Amino acid sequence: MGSLNSEDDQARFASVVLPHLADAYALARWLTGDRADAEDVVQEACLRAFRGIGGFSGVNARAWLLTIVRHAAYTWLGKNRSASLVMVDDLEAVEQKQASSGGGALEQGPQTPEAALIAKADARRLEAAIAELPVPFRETLVLRDVQGLDYREIAEVTKVPIGTVMSRLARARRRLIERIGTGEPRGRARGGA
Amino acid sequence: MTPTDPRLLVHAYLDGELDPAHALEIERQLADDPALAAERERVEALRRAIAEQLPREGAPPGLARRIEAAIGLRPVSAPARSSSRPSWRALAASVAVAAFLGSSATWLALSPGPADADRVVANHMRALMATQPVDVGSSDRHTVKPWFNGRIPEAPRVVDLAGAGFPLVGGRIDVVGRAPVATLVYRHRQHLISLSEVPGRTIAAPERQIAGYNIVSWTDDGVAYWAVSDVAAADLDAFAKAFRAAEPER
Repeated sequence: MGSLNSEDDQARFASVVLPHLADAYALARWLTGDRADAEDVVQEACLRAFRGIGGFSGVNARAWLLTIVRHAAYTWLGKNRSASLVMVDDLEAVEQKQASSGGGALEQGPQTPEAALIAKADARRLEAAIAELPVPFRETLVLRDVQGLDYREIAEVTKVPIGTVMSRLARARRRLIERIGTGEPRGRARGGA
Repeated sequence: MTPTDPRLLVHAYLDGELDPAHALEIERQLADDPALAAERERVEALRRAIAEQLPREGAPPGLARRIEAAIGLRPVSAPARSSSRPSWRALAASVAVAAFLGSSATWLALSPGPADADRVVANHMRALMATQPVDVGSSDRHTVKPWFNGRIPEAPRVVDLAGAGFPLVGGRIDVVGRAPVATLVYRHRQHLISLSEVPGRTIAAPERQIAGYNIVSWTDDGVAYWAVSDVAAADLDAFAKAFRAAEPER
């Protein structure tokens, strides 16, 4: 749809997109891992959103915008961090193989850390552990546990069935629990003050 | 994927995403299985740590202004001055007023959809919260269909879609537009699909989603069909296709 009435488009953009800018930025930052890059991604996504504002259904503005932001972030990752996207394909293949082979979807890890230890994890440690997650796990976890979307919205944004959202979220959390619950972080040289 | 794996379901349970029946089942398993209960504690601890340590932060200060400038919402050079062009806040307010008054046809797309769509979604939500989503529970259409006799004027079309991955759960009476209508309930994996059959009504503007629920609607032989569910839109489309293609066994 062309923007016959650009004033209307601008007003609609202002009421639909701008209220969710913080969420857009947060997702972009977690996906790119960098604040300045995240701003670029969000700006690009907002331009796309503005051009496509006529196609917005009027139902869930946040999920709609986050879908566009995710797409822009993936484009950015493809250009600048193609390695992390190669990993996505591998991961999906592994996930599908495990899914089709049935059981063992969530095998218990070797250690079962104490809940108290997990609760004490500090911000830097959590951020590092989340940043290490492969992209599909990371985005699912961030959308749920940082940004508070429900499974249905996450399924919409990440374009996978709700069952996949549930299993990715479970795996992401399990990985974090194992990373955080095993005492020292891997990059221990940098630790401390 | 093994969605019935309690180690997976415990996450959905903590996220408030399970229907009441599965939530009860998980609660039972949590009480019986110390390993599962320990996993629940770890997940809760993790979620708490994330919520406390990684608070949501706002967008960086100049970002909104840069974006407004990029799409021409605001002159690049005069960010603070009250310019001839209203800021997006003022615009948003005027939009809200326009939508409220319903005076501008451009904004009607933002207003709630057709009443029937809202009603079938409300019925579906109510059913999910009830102790039972159905009044008659049976996977046998020869049990479900006769149950509607005498309760509503026309017997609904009931087909067996178990082969297509949508086993029948049962049926219930819903109210749409002040009239009792037949609603069939099918299941797809963990999710329920409500299919309301509303004779003699047309579908004005098909809604695809309300309150996060996907909707597929169509009309066959003067009956408006409304399928509502939280399954993915593609699955609901597949369901609708399977239902419409099934033999009209009567």
